[in-house]
Amino acid sequence: MHKLIMNEWIKIFKRPGTFVMIGLLILSVLATGVLTKMYGNHPKTDHTQWEQQVSQEIKQDQKQISELPPTAVNVKKNLERKAAVNQYRLDHKIPPVNGTTGWTFINDSSGLISFAGLFTIIIAAGIVASEFGWGTVKLLLIRPIKRYKILFSKYMTVILFDLFMLAVLFVSAAVLGFALFGTGDGNNVHLAYSNGTVVEQNMLLYLIKTYLLTSIDVIMITTMAFMISAVFRNSSLAVGLSIFLLLMGGTVTSLIASRYDWAKYILFANTDLTQYFDGVPLVEGMTAGFSIVMLLIYFFVFQLLAFGIFTKRDVAA
Amino acid sequence: MSSPVVELKNVTKVIKGKKIIDDLSFTIEEGEVFGFLGPNGAGKTTTIRMMVGLMGISSGEILICGKNVKKEFEDALQNIGGIVENPELYKFLTGYQNLMQYARMVKGISKQKIDEVVEFVGLKDRIHDKVKTYSLGMRQRLGLAQSLLHDPKVMILDEPTNGLDPAGIREIRDHLKKLTKEKGMSVIVSSHLLSEMEMMCDRIAIIQNGRLVDIQKVHDYVQESKQKYFFEVEMKNIASLQTSGIDFEKVENGIEIEMEKDEVPNMIQLLIEKGIRIFEVKPISKTLEDRFIEVTTQGEKLHA
Repeated sequence: MHKLIMNEWIKIFKRPGTFVMIGLLILSVLATGVLTKMYGNHPKTDHTQWEQQVSQEIKQDQKQISELPPTAVNVKKNLERKAAVNQYRLDHKIPPVNGTTGWTFINDSSGLISFAGLFTIIIAAGIVASEFGWGTVKLLLIRPIKRYKILFSKYMTVILFDLFMLAVLFVSAAVLGFALFGTGDGNNVHLAYSNGTVVEQNMLLYLIKTYLLTSIDVIMITTMAFMISAVFRNSSLAVGLSIFLLLMGGTVTSLIASRYDWAKYILFANTDLTQYFDGVPLVEGMTAGFSIVMLLIYFFVFQLLAFGIFTKRDVAA
Repeated sequence: MSSPVVELKNVTKVIKGKKIIDDLSFTIEEGEVFGFLGPNGAGKTTTIRMMVGLMGISSGEILICGKNVKKEFEDALQNIGGIVENPELYKFLTGYQNLMQYARMVKGISKQKIDEVVEFVGLKDRIHDKVKTYSLGMRQRLGLAQSLLHDPKVMILDEPTNGLDPAGIREIRDHLKKLTKEKGMSVIVSSHLLSEMEMMCDRIAIIQNGRLVDIQKVHDYVQESKQKYFFEVEMKNIASLQTSGIDFEKVENGIEIEMEKDEVPNMIQLLIEKGIRIFEVKPISKTLEDRFIEVTTQGEKLHA
């Protein structure tokens, strides 16, 4: 199997387009970094007084919490989280991050994940359809290897390529971030709030987790693009539809969600799992468990279609 | 002595309710070049694609070296090397990188083997160039190399000479001859080019509308015991022949008579006795093309 994946990997990296994609991704990180450096805010507040500021914030938040109507559960939760984290800072003498550091830059760069996703989708859309387009599918499928293995190796390659693009994004953001903004004051912990307690987390692990969580929608849409590619043998259709959904899916879904409850069954209502950690679920009553089940259902439907049709199809082209 | 290398048993293919291939059965022996002949749309390509697993088989079965293509796909395909129509290769890779792609997909292909195959098809000088820069003939050779990597027992070539110039066609033919002679490989070739098939194949199957119309040795097609002979004669005394009970046909500048070779001297003598002056006598050799048209044109039977 690893040899099949190697084959696919070579086919991707022997095409100049791939390097254009990687170049564009790094360029976008570079542009973000330079712009942040030039126009970003550099607060020069006296850092020794952070304890006063933080305790003031806590008081404000608590006041707000007591004034909230009982229906605003999520807002209350958010404020409670903020207050708890701030209290933890006071208790353990961990100052809040001041301005941009290398770490926050990596965090901010996670916004570029959908850009990396765009390129992964292009690869996913082409990986089966191109073989039909080039006519090479005939020589590929007359090897003594069952078709599902070939398709699976292609899917694995797409996922690996997604991880590779994430790594490129992460590393270039880290290199640029630390070069431009430094490492901050050295206490690189992320304070996470879960089940009413604050826990310290390694910053690096936290960031990697954020990157992976944010990639869920990319992976889902990539899987869909892969399915369209395998079923319709048409890479333009797969690219077009997938990118349209990547860009518009969320907006359209939230439009529908404002009127109808069934919006929660739409794929894009469930791809953003961070909504359950800090935010408001799209439709009331949605839980993380529900979203994960929905994602799994979509995932298996896509794969079933892709594998079912690809392994049975007559290759006549 | 040898069991069939390829065996088709009542193979039928139905696409959208239409029978494309109808109850096709034949076998191919070891070391023979088997031609697959038919007009366009007869089902040659469909049959070949079923053999290599590109298309599903509606009913019946295909065995390659005793392995069922449907149920034991990997074992069956291990014995097949093929080119389906023009060999489409990855243009952005070099010839060598293309071969590496296919080498990785079968166990135990050494670098040595790749070099050997490259040498065999005569691509040594250009193997590290991108396929983009290859001529059609070179692509065809690379396609051949690709199919030989895993030492298959059967080579399947679908229209291998499509778009090649005469030199390229000849080259393919020479390669195929070498393969069957030296390695004992069986070769299945499909084509609608009759002259080609005549030169390449030991045995030919003619199919039409998805049915097997005829299957024969090439020699039997071309050389039958009875043959037509053309006599270039003076036409003025021809009338006297009509009364003698000889079955002949008038053509321009002479007559045509069908008979066995032994009878030719007697016939000449007879004609002379009748006072018919003979300028020339020659056999009309029947080409495969004649046979092909004869077999595929239904209703018109030249031979009673």
